[in-house]
Amino acid sequence: MRFNLKFVKEFLNFPLEPSRVAEALTFAGMEVESLIREGDDWIFEAEVTPNRYDWLSIIGVAREIAAVSGKQIQLTYPHLIQKPLLEEREIFIEDVWGCPYYTARSIKGVQICPGGEFKDMLSGCGLNSVNNIVDITNYCMFKWGNPLHAFDEDKLKGNIYIRKAKNKEEFRGIDDKVYSLTPENLVIADEEKIVALAGVMGAKNSEVDEYTKNIFLEGAIFSSVAIRHSRRRAGLDTESSYRFERLVSAKNLEYASQEAADLIKKYGEGDFSGFKSAGRRPQEEGKKIYMNLSSLDEYMGIECSAERAGSILNSLGFEIINKNKGEFEVKSPFWRLDIDNVVDIYEEVGRIFGYNNIPPRIPFTDRTNMRKSFIYGKGKMFEFKNELRRFLSLLSFNEIMTYSLEDKEEMRVLGQEDVIEIINPLRSQENCLRPTLLSGMMKTVKHNLNYNQKGVGFFEIADIYSKAKTGYSEMPALSMGIAGGPEDAFLLKGAIEEILKYLNVGSYYLEEGKIENFDNALTVFVENNPAGFMGKLNEKIKRYFGLKENLYYSQLGIKILAENKKEKKYTPFSLYPLVYQDISIALSKDISFKAIKDIVTGEGKYIRGLEIVDTYRGKDIPSDYNAFTLRIFYQSERKTLTSQEVESFHKQIRNKLDKKKGVILR
Amino acid sequence: MEKEIERIKNRFYRDCADIKDISGAEEIRIRYLGRKTELNTLFSKIPTLPASQRGSWGRRLNVLKEEIARRLEEKINAISDKESKIDLTFPARRPPKGSIHVLSSVNRKICEIFKNLGFSVVEGDEIADEWHNFESLNIPAEHPSRDVFDTFYLDIPAGSGGKYLLRSHTSTVQGWVMKNVKPPFAVISPGRVYRPDEVDATHSFMFNQIEGFVVDKEINFSHLKGVLLEFAREFYSPDIELRFRPHFFPFTEPSAEVDISCMMCKDKETQAGGKTCSVCKGKGWIEVLGCGMIHPHVFNACGIDPSRYRGFAFGMGIDRIAMLKYSINDIRFFYSNDIRFLNQFPV
Repeated sequence: MRFNLKFVKEFLNFPLEPSRVAEALTFAGMEVESLIREGDDWIFEAEVTPNRYDWLSIIGVAREIAAVSGKQIQLTYPHLIQKPLLEEREIFIEDVWGCPYYTARSIKGVQICPGGEFKDMLSGCGLNSVNNIVDITNYCMFKWGNPLHAFDEDKLKGNIYIRKAKNKEEFRGIDDKVYSLTPENLVIADEEKIVALAGVMGAKNSEVDEYTKNIFLEGAIFSSVAIRHSRRRAGLDTESSYRFERLVSAKNLEYASQEAADLIKKYGEGDFSGFKSAGRRPQEEGKKIYMNLSSLDEYMGIECSAERAGSILNSLGFEIINKNKGEFEVKSPFWRLDIDNVVDIYEEVGRIFGYNNIPPRIPFTDRTNMRKSFIYGKGKMFEFKNELRRFLSLLSFNEIMTYSLEDKEEMRVLGQEDVIEIINPLRSQENCLRPTLLSGMMKTVKHNLNYNQKGVGFFEIADIYSKAKTGYSEMPALSMGIAGGPEDAFLLKGAIEEILKYLNVGSYYLEEGKIENFDNALTVFVENNPAGFMGKLNEKIKRYFGLKENLYYSQLGIKILAENKKEKKYTPFSLYPLVYQDISIALSKDISFKAIKDIVTGEGKYIRGLEIVDTYRGKDIPSDYNAFTLRIFYQSERKTLTSQEVESFHKQIRNKLDKKKGVILR
Repeated sequence: MEKEIERIKNRFYRDCADIKDISGAEEIRIRYLGRKTELNTLFSKIPTLPASQRGSWGRRLNVLKEEIARRLEEKINAISDKESKIDLTFPARRPPKGSIHVLSSVNRKICEIFKNLGFSVVEGDEIADEWHNFESLNIPAEHPSRDVFDTFYLDIPAGSGGKYLLRSHTSTVQGWVMKNVKPPFAVISPGRVYRPDEVDATHSFMFNQIEGFVVDKEINFSHLKGVLLEFAREFYSPDIELRFRPHFFPFTEPSAEVDISCMMCKDKETQAGGKTCSVCKGKGWIEVLGCGMIHPHVFNACGIDPSRYRGFAFGMGIDRIAMLKYSINDIRFFYSNDIRFLNQFPV
């Protein structure tokens, strides 16, 4: 809310230093976001939280300043005049829920002239001057917090109706725009037409202009929900709707309306001719709440004397009805409808006592109950994911974070038809929840390829989502990706194996299989259950997403990894030398390397491992053969192997390989 | 004898100067210090000399032998220095390195601090229902306080907790934990949250939050202050100050917003330079989180008796905290995953 210091000063008779006022308000809970000097006045821009509708008025602000300064405000309530009865027309409230109470005052024979008198106060609050009548209603709105509306009485035909708009009923506002309404809009109408969008804006057809002679002054209570719906439907947000949405005081309404009528009489030279009301004025009584002073201290962690608590509450307009050995019966002021519970009283005392005067302490909380809960077990997943993050970064992969929301159409291209859709998306690019981490990876790789970043490994740990028979499924997953050549496929495979080894998952294997959208795919099995896959993104998807390089991608389920993770135990290693022998092999492309691996590893307990140390291409190698050098490692657990022993094992392997069809030893 | 010595000496100096490499040096060593050398021939003549001269000639020959050995060693050292010298002004080779996303590390660091204060880490689903996101948190359907919680709704058939949505804050875990665990508990819960905000330098429809709350019999506002102060001093720096401003959140009462003293301009020198600090806009304070004592309505909704238990809760935006800590000026860097951004934060 915007307001000026001069306006506030009307109700305070003690000196005010603008920057101290700003600070005091901020620490009372009304954060002053800016303070600007304008001539001999100061403009405050403050954030009013939704609970403090009373601060949307100058007297509310003045009350707060007075309270924190230990002073009183100077406020004269106008004398309420509700006679004679306004007899020219009836007021019918057809929607009692939308408008519980409606009042009208008629003032005859006014002179319309430029604002003048209230111009400074209005501009301080951010409104332009229109004319003396409109300015007076706005002045009273800012002062009391109750929006009012002045109609040109001669433009109203017959009775007044407060009703829901008909579907497609049109309304031209004083902003000269035409709005097509629905029954969600609450309106003020006469016998023929809509004359105001209730609580939001008046209509052009009944506005006060330079020829206006007679005023019909509306003061009403509208339902905050009704106004909220109505102004949202119309796409409007006005000073008036802002206040109605946050509640307005019914008691203040009488004062605001009376004062506006008095001022119109004074500055518009009119005569008050009648008052009429419809509906019932909501009862506005302060709430009575019992408060135990030791509970206050325990709740806030302070030591506050009864005198101090009492004087704080009094300064805020609370009445101490009863004082009884450490107990107060407190009655809240009528303008504080937000006070409902004893903790609201604690807050009132606490914020004036000063949160910054409360000492800091560290509590001890027993974790026994928490540890017993399944929620605690689920929470362990956070640590597991962090462990994976650290390990993958050690493997030179870079963690990414991509949006969980994706384009439904793109998901369809990936073969994901039944995704969870967003009912109210901002844009079509983000209209569903992703069932895979693939598209985020593709986008990341594509972005980085633009900067010539090939062969960089990325990973993401995030949830994937799908519909379930009842409700939904949300599961954490790990994706890894590298753009580049076939060697990167082996790097990815190596990374998967390293992860499984690191987690000590027990048995695992990678087996060739079909995976949608991928060529050359391997399925990863952990304890004989599928745990994920890796593969080369196929050409169709590559082209659709505009990827220029091959993407090697893997996605693993995190839950299955976590469930199979086992404590590590030390495995003894051989203390004897490790020796190797190389064999140069050309292998027919019809035969998989697995065949060679099976022959070699089938050769007994001294085989420690095998490795490809070199690949070879040349004229002497048939084109349907892969040539490479295989290095075989030998080691014993109990002795140093002699060179004769190694020679003899190696020769056996050579002989077996030599007999295998499709294997040429070079 | 005198002449012989001088001749060997001079010839050695000449030969030594000509040495080019280690093998050349070896050749010279054999020539002068080997078994069959002129020097050894001279040594063998000593017994033929008069007894009175033997001592002094012996000493002179030994001096020469030592001189040759010393010079040769120097030469060899000089050569090997030259041969093995590498030019370390050539560029370094980069050991391969990976990285952890800066938001993940900030999440981990923060959770670590709270774990040390006795909190347990809990992770809730990002998909939530209206009960967890709103009702349980005392945010009624038709209240302006819901405005700041605009939410993405999902096409999953509504369940007993109302419509399904993407949680707009991590406070959803409050109801989940309170309904399932008997107090006391202290919980810290990080995760992704979603709000329909257009993306710009400071807004994103997806971002990260951390929620914390403690429920026990004797919890009070000063505990909230103590825990947050401890966190801030551990996370930022030991001399950081906190400022609590009264605020409003439907799920806490009393509520506060917390500012930290600006770490950018705590050095007053920089302020004296006449420039306004771009981080705190010259205010000296930066808003970092919201907090308060858990509202009795929340306890009631979750089946905890507010006359027996009290609690506090707080929530903070991790993106914002990381932006402040690392001077990152655009939230979009977190989600565009440029390698030049990622590898600035290896862990």
